[in-house]
This record gives sequence, C-alpha cells and structure tokens, in this order.
Amino acid sequence: MTATQDPSVVGETDLYLGLYRSMVLIRGFEDLIQSLFLRGEIYGTTHLYSGQEAVAVGVASVLEDRDRLAATYRGHGHALALGVDPQGLLDEMLGRATGVNGGRAGSMNINSPRDRLVGSFGIVGGTIAAATGVGLALKRVGGVAVCQFGDGAINQGYFYECLNFCTVLRLPVVFLCENNGYGEYTPFQDVTAGAIRARAEAMEVPAETVDGMSVVAVRAAAARAVTHARAGGGPYFIEAVTYRYVGHSRSDPGAYRPAGELDAWKERDPIPRLRGQLVDAGVEPNVVDAIDGEIGTLLEAITRKGLEAAFPEPRRTPEFSG
Amino acid sequence: MTTTIDFRTAVREALDEELAADDRVIFFGEDVALAGGVFAVTPGLYEKYGPERVFDTPISELALAGAAFGAAISGLRPVVEIMFGDFLTLVMDSIVNQSTKYWFLTGEQVSVPLVFRSVVGAGGRFGAIHSQMPVSWFMGIPGLKIVTPATPADAKGLLRSAIQDDNPVLFFEHKRLYGITGDVDGELVPIGVARIAREGTDITIVSAMNGVHEALKAADVLASDGISSEVIDLRTLRPLDIPAVLASVAKTNRIVVVEEGPLTGGWAGEVLARVTEEGLGDLDDAWRIATAESPVPYSPPLEDAFLPGADRIASEVQRRLR
Amino acid sequence: MTSSVVRMPRLSDSMSEATIVGWLKQPGETFVRGEPLVEVETDKATIVYEAEVDGVLAEILVPEGATALLGEPIARLDAAGSDDSSEPTPMEGAAPEIERARASRATEPAHPVAALSVDAPAQSDSGTRARATPVARRTASQLGLSLYGLTGTGPGGRIRKLDVVRAGSAVGATTSSDLKGTTTQVPLSTTGRTIARRMSQSRTEIPSFEVVVQADMSTIVELRRNAVELVEMVPSVNDFVIRAAAMALREHPEFNSSFIDGQCERHSRVNVGVAVATADALLVPAVIDADVKNLSVIAAETRDLVARAQSRRLSPEELTASTFTVSNLGMFGVQSFTAVINPPQVAILAVGAVSRSPVESATGGVTFRDVATLTLTSDHRAVYGADAARFAARVRQLLEHPLALVL
Repeated sequence: MTATQDPSVVGETDLYLGLYRSMVLIRGFEDLIQSLFLRGEIYGTTHLYSGQEAVAVGVASVLEDRDRLAATYRGHGHALALGVDPQGLLDEMLGRATGVNGGRAGSMNINSPRDRLVGSFGIVGGTIAAATGVGLALKRVGGVAVCQFGDGAINQGYFYECLNFCTVLRLPVVFLCENNGYGEYTPFQDVTAGAIRARAEAMEVPAETVDGMSVVAVRAAAARAVTHARAGGGPYFIEAVTYRYVGHSRSDPGAYRPAGELDAWKERDPIPRLRGQLVDAGVEPNVVDAIDGEIGTLLEAITRKGLEAAFPEPRRTPEFSG
Repeated sequence: MTTTIDFRTAVREALDEELAADDRVIFFGEDVALAGGVFAVTPGLYEKYGPERVFDTPISELALAGAAFGAAISGLRPVVEIMFGDFLTLVMDSIVNQSTKYWFLTGEQVSVPLVFRSVVGAGGRFGAIHSQMPVSWFMGIPGLKIVTPATPADAKGLLRSAIQDDNPVLFFEHKRLYGITGDVDGELVPIGVARIAREGTDITIVSAMNGVHEALKAADVLASDGISSEVIDLRTLRPLDIPAVLASVAKTNRIVVVEEGPLTGGWAGEVLARVTEEGLGDLDDAWRIATAESPVPYSPPLEDAFLPGADRIASEVQRRLR
Repeated sequence: MTSSVVRMPRLSDSMSEATIVGWLKQPGETFVRGEPLVEVETDKATIVYEAEVDGVLAEILVPEGATALLGEPIARLDAAGSDDSSEPTPMEGAAPEIERARASRATEPAHPVAALSVDAPAQSDSGTRARATPVARRTASQLGLSLYGLTGTGPGGRIRKLDVVRAGSAVGATTSSDLKGTTTQVPLSTTGRTIARRMSQSRTEIPSFEVVVQADMSTIVELRRNAVELVEMVPSVNDFVIRAAAMALREHPEFNSSFIDGQCERHSRVNVGVAVATADALLVPAVIDADVKNLSVIAAETRDLVARAQSRRLSPEELTASTFTVSNLGMFGVQSFTAVINPPQVAILAVGAVSRSPVESATGGVTFRDVATLTLTSDHRAVYGADAARFAARVRQLLEHPLALVL
C-alpha cells in the first residue's frame, strides 16, 4: 500500500480528517448492515456501498445547503455522507418507528429532504429523472442537483432523455456515474456499446473520468462539475471508476468475479489510502486511530439502541395531502 | 361574472389565472409554448409568461415525467402537457414509482403538487393509439387523482383546483369536447364531487366526459318514452363521489354506468362494486355500458359503432325497463 | 350514550319474516327488561315480544303494518340512562288493531280440506327460492306478497320491482278473457304460503292410505243432551273424539309418532292437535296430555284454543306440540272427507257430521241411529293396514261406549 503525499490534503487536513471520518463511518456502517442482515434483523434485501466510499464523500464535500442529491438503491453511503443521522438510518433498515422514514421506506427508498437527500430510487434511472426536475426548480435559486447512478443506468431511457433534456434547457444537474464494473451481476462491457463517457460527449456535455478510489480526485472533479452547473453551464458528467467490495446485494456472494480482481481493488482501498495521505501530511497517527475508535464506539451504540427500538404501529395513512 | 366560452378556452383561462396567481406554477410540454399546443389550447401563455414559466420540451416523456416530479418536490407547481393520453404509458413509471409514493415515503412531509394535462378519448378518427381512455390504467394507484370534466365551467373550475391541489393529478380533456360551449362563472369546482346533470326518478345514468352528453341526449329520447332519467356527471373519477351515486340509486333503484373504455377493468366496475357493497338493498337493476374488448378502429362507421352513444344508451335502458 | 338496534326476533322456527302488528312503546319511552315492546304476527301466531334489556326506544324503523325479515332492524334503542330526552309521548288509548291481509281478498270463507299443524322442522326453501332483486324482495315484503310463483321479466328471468308491483296492484293484468269477468289478484299471506308449501310436501312425499269407520254416536248424543242441565260447558262431539283418540294413541304408540329421516320417533306424551279454521289460515293448536285430561278439561281447553286461534294469540309451543291431529268438518254437514297428514305426524283423523242413519236393529228391523263417519289417513311408511284398522276400531269402540272415556 503506497501513500501519496497530496497537496490538497496537506492544505486542508481538518477537512480531510472529516472526510476520513465519513468514509470510516460508511465502511463500518455497511459492515454492520451486513452482519445484521445475516442475523435476520434487516429484512428483504439491501445494497452495500463498501469500497465506493470515496465517491459519495468526495461529492458531498462540495455541496451547499441549496444543493440536492438523488441516490440509487445503493444509497447508504450518500445518505451518511450528506449527514443523515446514522441512528435514524440504521433504525429505518431495522424497520423501527424511529427510522428516518418511520419504517415505511426501508433500505431502497431512504429519503431525507432536510439533509438534502431527495431520495433513493429503486427503478434504475429513477434518480436521473428525479434530479432533472429538482434541477429545474433549483435553477431559480442557484442550486445544483446531483444524480448518482451506476454503469447499468446509462443504458436506460431515462439517462438519454434526461441528459438531453437538461442540456437543451441548461439545467444545473451533475450526472455522477459510479462505474463499479458491474451492472448487477453482469460486467458492464458485456451490455454496453462503446464507452460510457462518450455518451455525454456525444451530446457535447462536459465529461471526465476520475479515479473513484481517491477521495481527493473525486472531490476535485465534483468541484469542477458543480461550479460549471451552478454557473448556468448546464449538466456535467462524471464517470467515477470504482469497485464494490461485496456482491450486488446482500443475497449475492459475488462469485461471478474473476479470481484476483477483488484483491487488486482492495489494494486501492480509499480509506487506508487517505489515512496514508493524512499521515504523510503531518497528522499524528493516533489522531486517525482515535477516529477509528470513535466510529467503532458509535456503531456499537447505535446497534444497541436500534435493536431495542420499537416497531411502528400499523395505522391508516392519509391518501392525499390537504 | 359569467361568460360563455368553449372548453379549450376554459382550459387556457384556468392555466392563465393560475400562472398569474402563483409564481411557482410552471407549464411545459411538447409544442405547448411557441405553437400554443397541437389542439390550440394554450396559445399566448408563452408570450405572456416567458420561457422561465412556459416552455417547450424535446419529445421525451420520461424526462418530462422526471422533470414534473423533481420540480414538484422542490417547491414548484408544474403543469405538464402529455400530448395524447395514449403516451401516458411512458410517463407511468414516474407516476407510479415516484410521484404517487413520495408523500407516503417522506412520512407526509413533502407533497407532490403536479398536474399532467392530457387529451383523451375517441370519436376524432385518430385511430387506435391516439384515441384511448387511460383512466382504467391509473385507477389502482393510491395517491393519484383523476379529474374528468364534461363542461367548460368544470374544465376551468377543476383545472384551477387541480393546480392548487397538493397531490399528483391527471387532468383529462376529451378531444370531442374542445369545441363545446357553456356558461362559466369562474368559480373553483371541488375535486371529488359529482354533479347532477339532470334529475329523474326511474333510472340513474352515471358517466363522465363525453359520455355525459351522450347520456343527456339519451335521457331526452327516454323521456318521450315515459322514462325519467337522472344523469350524474362524476366530474372526478378518482376519488369517486359514491355518496352522490348512492343517493340517486336510493331514489331510482336502477343504475347504468356508461364508460368510454373497455368493459373489463374499467372504472364503471368500481362504481358498481361500491354501489353493490353499500347500497345493495336499493338495487333493482345495475349494469354497465362500455366499449368492446378491442382497440379503437379508424373508419367512421367502425368508430361510431364502437362508442357508447346516445342511441345505444337509450335502447338499452328501454329494453331493461320494459 | 350508546345506541343499539332491535332486530326482528325468531319467534317461530319456520318464519323468515313477520309483520309488526303494533308498537307497545313509542319513541322516547323507557322500558325495562321483560316489558312488552312490540306485537308481531308470524306465520303462525301473533306474539308479544318483550324487551331483552333496559332502555329507551329511540326510533321505530319498521312501522305498524309493515313487514320485516328475520334479523332486520326494527327499532333503535338507547341504553337506559341516556339523555335522549323527548318528553315521553302518552300511549295511544286502545290496544293496536291486529292487521292481517293487506291485499284485497275474495269474500267466501276459506274451506280447509286438510288440517295442517305447522310443527315440522324449518324447511329450507332453496329449491323454490325466487331469483329476485333486493328491491323486489323489499317491495314484496311491504305489499305482503309472496315471490313464490311470480314470473320475473328481468334479465335471466329475474323478478324485478316492476313484476312485484304489477302482481300487487288491485286490478291485475287482464290477460283472462271477458268470459271469466274481471280478474282480481289475491296474494297469499305469510301463513298461507307456509301452508301451501307444507301441503304440497305432504301429498308428494307421504304414501298415505285411508281407513274408514262408522261410529254409532247415539250414546254420546244422549249424554250431551242430558248434560246440558248438569254442567255449564258441555263437551262437544269433537271433544269426545279427542279424548277417544288420545286413549287409543296411548294404547297404540305407533300412531303417536313422528316419521323423520326414515325413522319413527315415538313420543311419550299424547298431544292431540285440533284443526281450527281462521279467516285466512288453518291452525292446529295442541291439547297437551290429552290422554290424562278428563272431558271437561279438554272441553275448556279446546274452547280456549279455538278462541285464541281466531285471534292469532297462540304460542309457538302450542302450535308445534301435536303428535296427532283431529280434524272435524261435521259442523258444515260434511258426511266424510280425507284429511292430509301433517308431517312429521304419521296419521290424522277426519270426522264427519253426526247424522241420523238407518241401521239394522237387534230385532232384524231398521232403526235410526246417530252415526258419524271417521276417516283415518295414515303414513304407510310408519304403520300398516292392520295397525290402522285396529286403531280406528278402538276409537270407534270408545266412542260407542263412552263410559270408557270418563273412567
């Protein structure tokens, strides 16, 4: 494992300590979800973000209060990066009344408008549709809408229609494609003609490919994207190349991956990478360790509290507003 | 002040008044701005309100749908024209999986005040995929309102109510009604409330949109035969004003529901189901008149025979009551 | 304040509906459990229904004269102590009139040719249930009409309100020719429908046979003539027959049975049913334990039963207790007739008029005696010819030697 001394980190160690904490929280949280799922405490299915932390954290770090993000069903990382309370997020997945959505939404539909998380959308491409409309509204206030989606979504109709729509209307929408190599169980090359980024380029939308395992690189790209969109330049496309360390969903053990692929990607784990960069930038290792410890304690505490929390009472919900 | 105007003018006036009254209202769709709409319903609005409020879009129903949803949850009140109701199939995903679920998933925190206006119905010789009645496709979606005016007064009063409503509303304009005239006093018409179009004692005829006019013509024919018909214009098909229908059936003991749309799975069945459940003791006869299990044909004699017109309504009632 | 509903109670085991004869409480009046609340006419009798809880009558849902189905709400009550307080209205003075048939009727009295007691277990109507709309049924109830036998002109032969209204109108459809004059529809009452159903069933299902005996009633006639000066209430000829039949039943238990589901069920008590013709029905109340009651008791009871039958004040128990039936048309001068067995009873005794008839005298000449013809109809599944002959012979013997009836 090599650490790269990075000028960005050197100048802003406090900021990057915060980003480190965020990534550790996400990794720990996803590990926790995995074990709770195996114990039967989390129901249905869930999609884990382990390995992709740098993307969510890097992007969230450049968003302002007036900005919004729409996530996919693999959205825990984005939720935590935006600041959704981990207890509320855990309780939601445990199905408890204290969940951020009262137990109504579950893992795949998590939303927290006050944390700028528009929602998690189960239909592939749904985030892109949502962000299109959000961007239409945010244009009035100088805000930016980010839609996060995977490499599989770029083959959905929503992607093309919305990218075109946002471009001709110059909507402030950042298209964030997390290319983790697989659309569900299928390698993306098997189902995708041509290059991902080329689609945006065909519509003359500024596009770049970035190392999704580097929070520094992602943050920089996101900053460029948001600036462009906010200034009225229309949409910006980022392809963040990353990797998920676990299967597509909890029910998938990932046996379709070629031998050695996972190990190669683990060597580029964004968390140890940033740790190295922080230490290289002069941060005391025990400061970083303290963060690890703090997150560990936090996760234990939220687990205990979550498992004791009450389930919601079934009640008739109003069909309409007003 | 009462004016006599036609249906399409009533629609435009409603849009105009709501755009003027609330800055958050925006209106977009295909060919609606510069061209004033393919049915010439919306000329002048673009010139009056400018491209930030009234604009044209690419032919991208998926993007339109996303734009409507995302904008509606971000503080705007979008009115979107879907050129033909038949194209709502493309908008279905966003309506079903985004717009009508958000209120619930956010725990009644964020409502979705959007309106899809669409032209529906047969009789215009537009053929199988520009003449359908999409109501029954949407009847089973909780959280959705479906509004179906039959007169200019209701077109204006109900469209204004729909735009002011905080829920997703489908607003259907029957293409055969655009040219009919009527008195309009400018009052808001509440969604979910039926209107007695004609009082009677021997049979209750329930319908909506163009069917109301056919029912009224049939009622004249029946009157000369000594049969007194009560015609109910439902005005909203979701939610249904069942109490109004029950009150009428308590009086007449007979009900026929006239639906332009296939018999199987139609909204007429929902009306009869509710009347049977709640008013069984008042029933002496109950049936539906709807279209055959077949697409809408093009050639005039074929299309006319296909539709439930006044002649068919009158002759069926005469047969059943003698 | 809690509100509850009174539903039409099951006051007879074969009723499916009944008519409100009179409300004994008015809205606003309080009552306690056990107090009479409403008078109801069923297919068998007029019965007073008593309140089952304390309360206040809030609202009458089915008014006097109207019919309600079994289980249908007929009134709304509030629990006692509620504040629902209109001033109690004073009860109307006289007892409410008992209303019977509402449709117009032919004026000649009904001639019962068969006696039926209505004590069979409730029959399911599924075979004859009419296909009718809810409103048609309601209208039929309101008009007191039977749906049975109505032709429906709705889809699939469904009976519609129109069909019921037409059937109920006083001047019916004139499909009959002028040769028969004007046709007046005379619908059956609730009880009439029950009787019609049971008569058909009896005749269709029971393999019956008759045994005829002629009884010399001269001694009884003489006894009765002499008794006028001795007692206030002289037993009628029929009372003598009832007593004789009761004793014969005690001796021939196979006649004191019910035939149900292919089996004979013998009863330990002898209850002789007496057929009584009322204005629109034929009722058969029972003289319970007729074999242990003496003639004067029987006489008093039959008189009382007849009176209460005429005023429809019989209890369901009285109408369902008979184990055997005696039917007498002698008062009309009928010489003899064949009665129809009342299932599940196995026999019925029809009594003709006592008349002077010539018989051979002891000296070989002709003398006139008071003779009555008795016809015993029996169910051949339960009893056979010789049994019937012996039974009938015993009855005759007892009637011809009435001393045995008072011992």
